[in-house]
Order: sequence, then C-alpha cells, then structure tokens
Amino acid sequence: MNTQPAHTIILSPIEALDTSLLDRIIGALITVFGFPVEIMPLIDDLAFAFDRQRRQYHSTLILEILDRKAPSDALKILGVTRQDLFIPILTHVYGEAQLGGRASIISLHRLKEGFGSEGREKEYHTRVVKEAVHELGHTFNLRHCKDPGCIMHYCHSVADVDRKSNHLCRYCSTLLKDEKERLMSG
Amino acid sequence: MGTAKILIVDDELIMRESLAGWLERDGHQVDKAASGEEALEMLENIRYDILLLDIKMDGMSGLDVLKRVHENDPDVAIVMITAYGSVSTAIEAMKNGAFDYLMKPFDPNELGLLIEKIMDRQAQDRETLFLKEEYRERSRFESMLGQSRAMQEVFRLIEDVAATDSTVLITGETGTGKGLAAKAIHSKSPRCNGPFVAVNCGAFPEHLLESELFGHQKGAFTDAKASKKGRLELAHGGTLFLDEIGEISMRMQIDLLRVMEDRVFYRVGGTQPIEADFRVIAATNKDLAQAIRDRTFRQDLFYRLNVISFAMPPLRERKEDIPILAEHFLHRFSQESNKDIDKISREAMDEMMLYEWPGNVRELENAIERAVVVGKGRTVKPEDLPIFSPEHRTLAADKSLQEIEKAHVMTILGETDWNIKKSADILQIDRSTLYSKIKRYGIRRPD
Repeated sequence: MNTQPAHTIILSPIEALDTSLLDRIIGALITVFGFPVEIMPLIDDLAFAFDRQRRQYHSTLILEILDRKAPSDALKILGVTRQDLFIPILTHVYGEAQLGGRASIISLHRLKEGFGSEGREKEYHTRVVKEAVHELGHTFNLRHCKDPGCIMHYCHSVADVDRKSNHLCRYCSTLLKDEKERLMSG
Repeated sequence: MGTAKILIVDDELIMRESLAGWLERDGHQVDKAASGEEALEMLENIRYDILLLDIKMDGMSGLDVLKRVHENDPDVAIVMITAYGSVSTAIEAMKNGAFDYLMKPFDPNELGLLIEKIMDRQAQDRETLFLKEEYRERSRFESMLGQSRAMQEVFRLIEDVAATDSTVLITGETGTGKGLAAKAIHSKSPRCNGPFVAVNCGAFPEHLLESELFGHQKGAFTDAKASKKGRLELAHGGTLFLDEIGEISMRMQIDLLRVMEDRVFYRVGGTQPIEADFRVIAATNKDLAQAIRDRTFRQDLFYRLNVISFAMPPLRERKEDIPILAEHFLHRFSQESNKDIDKISREAMDEMMLYEWPGNVRELENAIERAVVVGKGRTVKPEDLPIFSPEHRTLAADKSLQEIEKAHVMTILGETDWNIKKSADILQIDRSTLYSKIKRYGIRRPD
C-alpha cells in the first residue's frame, strides 16, 4: 500500500462515480478543510455490512474497514456509496462518521429524492457535496450546529439539505480552526 | 439546541453504541449501561437529564428501573425504548412516569425532536427555579458578613478590585456568596450608579441564552414577535454578572469572547453594532482549568475573564463567622415571621459549629429559617435545626467533621430509603452535591 503524505484526506468511492461529482467533492473539501485530497478506492464489496432483514448496509462496520484499510498517515477518510445505510437503532442515515476520529461515509441513496426522472444533476451534486463536507466535519470533532444555514446543521429532510449553505458558520469555522491547530501541534 | 447528559440503558451492545454515537454527534454527553443494575449504580453517582431505557432486558427490566429512578429523582426524563409489538408495555411505562417512548428502529428525526422537547421542558423548569432564587437573592445582599481572616481578605480584595474596571472571575463552592461579592464590587465601583444585571448562564438552554444576552430583532426567529433588548444592552454603563459561566456552550463562549475582544455586539438578527459598555464579573463553582483540559471551556475566554480572580471561602473554613451569620439570619427571619425568637442555645450553636455546611452560607440561612418556623420557645434548640441528629452527640467527641458528615448523610439516606430527592431536601443541598458526597465518602446502598 502506498504511503501517503501526512495530512491528506482520502476520498474513497465504493462504486464508480461521475468524475464531475468527484471533482466537485474534492474542490469543496479542499476549500473547507484546507488539506490535499486524494482519491483512493479502499473497499470494492460491501457484502460484509449487508443486513438481509433490513436490506440495508450497516455504516458503522464500513467505517471500521475504511479506517483499517486506509494508509496509517492519512489524516481523514471519506467513503462514498450508492447503497442505503443504517445504524441499528435508526431506520436509515444519510451518512455516518467517527466523531473526532478518521473515517466517515455518505450514502447517495436518498439524496436524489424529489428530483423524479428529471436530471437536475447540478442540484443533486450540490446535495452530495454538502453531505460530504458535513460527515467529514464530524471527524474534525464538529458537532451538529443549530444554525440552519451552516453545513454542520443536522437535516431532517433533503429539503433541509437544499436550504443550508455550503459553508461553515462562524462558530463552526472557529471550532474547525481550533481542531486543525490541535492536529498540527499534536 | 444545547446539550444534555444522557444515560443509555440497553443490554444489546450494538444498540447502545449506535445510539450513543448518534447522540454524541448532536453534542450530547452520553454514558452507557448494559443492565438496569449497572444503570442504578451509575445513577447513584451521576445526575443525568435524560435516560433512554430499553424495556426488555435480561435481569432487571426497564419498567423496574423506571420505577426506582422515578421515585428517587422525578426530574430525570425517562424515554422507554421498545421493540415492535410491545407498545402496551410502553404505555404501562408512561403511566409509571416515563416521559415518552420510542419504537426501534426509530426515525432519526423522531429522536432529535423528542430530545429537543425534553430539553425545552427542563429548561423552563430551571428558569422558574432561577426566578424564585433571584427573588430570594434580593434580600440576601446584606448577609455578606464575616470577621474571619478569610472574609476580611475577601472584603479587602473587593475594595481593591472595585476601583478598577477590570474583568473579575469569582470562584467558590455553591452557596458561598459569589453573587453577593459581585454585587459588592459593583456597589463600590465607579459604575455603581449604573445597572447591575445578573444572568445565570446555567438556567437557560443555548437558544434562549443567546437571545437573553444579546436581545433580538423582530422576526429574527419564529417567536420573535417584537424586538427585545438583551441583558448586555440592559447592563449599559453598569456591571454584567455572568453566574455559572462554566455552564455555557462552546457557541456562546465564542460569542462572549468576541464581545470582550471587540467591545461591540449585535442583537440576534440585527445588523447595527451596539457598544459593549459594561464591566464583566463572572462566577463559577466549576474547575475551569480542568474544563479547559477537557476541551469544554475555551482557554482564550478563560484568559479574558481571569484578569483578576479570587475565591470565596467555604463556610467550614471560616467557622468563626457562624455565630454572627446565624444571629443575623435569626434576627431577620424572626422579624419577617413575627415570632419572638431571639436566642440560639449554646447546644444549637455547638451543633452548627460542628457541622460541615456543604451548602455553605445558603444552607446556614435555610437552617435558621427552618428553626424559626418550627421553634416553639424564644430560643433556637438543636432539635429545631435540620442538621441535628442525636447521633452527632455521641459521635462528636472523637470523630472528624468528615466522619460526622458521612454518618449524617448515611442516616438521612437510610431514613428515606435512599430517596435522593427527599434526602437532598432534608439535607438542604442540591442533588448533585448529595451525589458528590455519596461518591466522595464511598457510601453504598445496603443490599
């Protein structure tokens, strides 16, 4: 396995994704977090996380594998999957992250909701980018934010996702800055 | 939404972990227990706002845990977690005091909204309590008395500090008179003709505290029907007293830091800068240095607040002040209640001198108030005092104060069958103080 330069964020698509979507995610991650991003597929089969009864994938198990398979000097990891994710106590999740840890994942499964057969690719990509930044934000120790405009705001629906902006509010920016300083010094 | 202290009780590891992880992302502090028995043991030492309790567990059932917890501490909101098909048990639980129930797996929105509802309810209760306390506080101003060296030093510091316009941080246990010291500084300062505006930061949930401190413009949020001045604005020209500063959220810490650095602030939803012309006095009974290490309190804000700091001494370290304080309270309460009680017996005074006063001057004040209410003659006797236990007399001769206090706490817990609320009421201390004493003395409930 390659040795990555320190402070690199790994973007790990689990299935094939549009290059244009990947480019938008990378751009947003670099803008918000300020670290280089590298694409690195780490898992190609999610069968280990499949729950037959629920017909969904257990995201916590996927995070563990992403964390284990990523290079040891990777700063953070963001997995992206088309599958529907769950954690046992909840019916579904848009994504999950190890709070203050390394791994995060988002699911694209429910993000197309409301678009029907119309393409609306740009809006769809915007949703994906927001969820990507949101979940990765948790690995930088950011909690949910009460500001409905902040990207760390917890969204009850895709409509909420559409309403929030694609940047951090000033509180979360300050907390991210603190966390980055802590990571750099430690 | 602010944050809550939550205990998850579920015998399935995977459920505990997934729920805890989810709630931590909302910023809540979460602990986990794998059985009802473990939960009850944890509840003896730690106070939780919310209990998420699985109904069906091996060993002690969720319903049994519910009954025990609700009896001991009805303020803890208990949410039952139930599997499909056991709704009737959940309804039974609601009859026994559960706040609500959730059927697993539950929708993430349902969980978030329920937690928010509970926190709003608990915040309203805290606010009511704060208002009652604030009303009582008005009559307490005169009771900062003391001839002890410790208090003389405090008086000297207050005089020195009052003349400056620096920010002051007052530390000290609950009931030591931190609020009184803040008022004294204000009344002796050049800002004495301006207002003294107090905010109990622990009494408001985050969204209310923001509007309470900064005010809001009409339409800033759904309930903002009219513009409102915040306490920062009301403190213009005077002193802003931020009590329980250790309780404020990270967001509010960032806001306060900005006000203290820029000396301007904005109403919520407002665009006009407002000048911050007030002196800040903050108080806490928390160890802020530890909070900084735990990353729950910002170091930069601490430095801003801690320009001048001093600690209010606990009453047990200035016992020579007990007679003067007790006489003062006796005089006040006998006048207020129109009762002719004007003496404290030697034995009653001895009891008071022996006692540790964990609730400090406030506890002494409450004890004298009760003695005046229950007293029959003109003299306060030991049995009129809530701290009195006949066992003290036999124990007192060869026991340390800590041993006597431990024995007293054990007696009261025994008498109330370990009902924490009743015990705390009798001891006239809050429940968290009682929990910390149980922990400190290693007191365990008999099997």
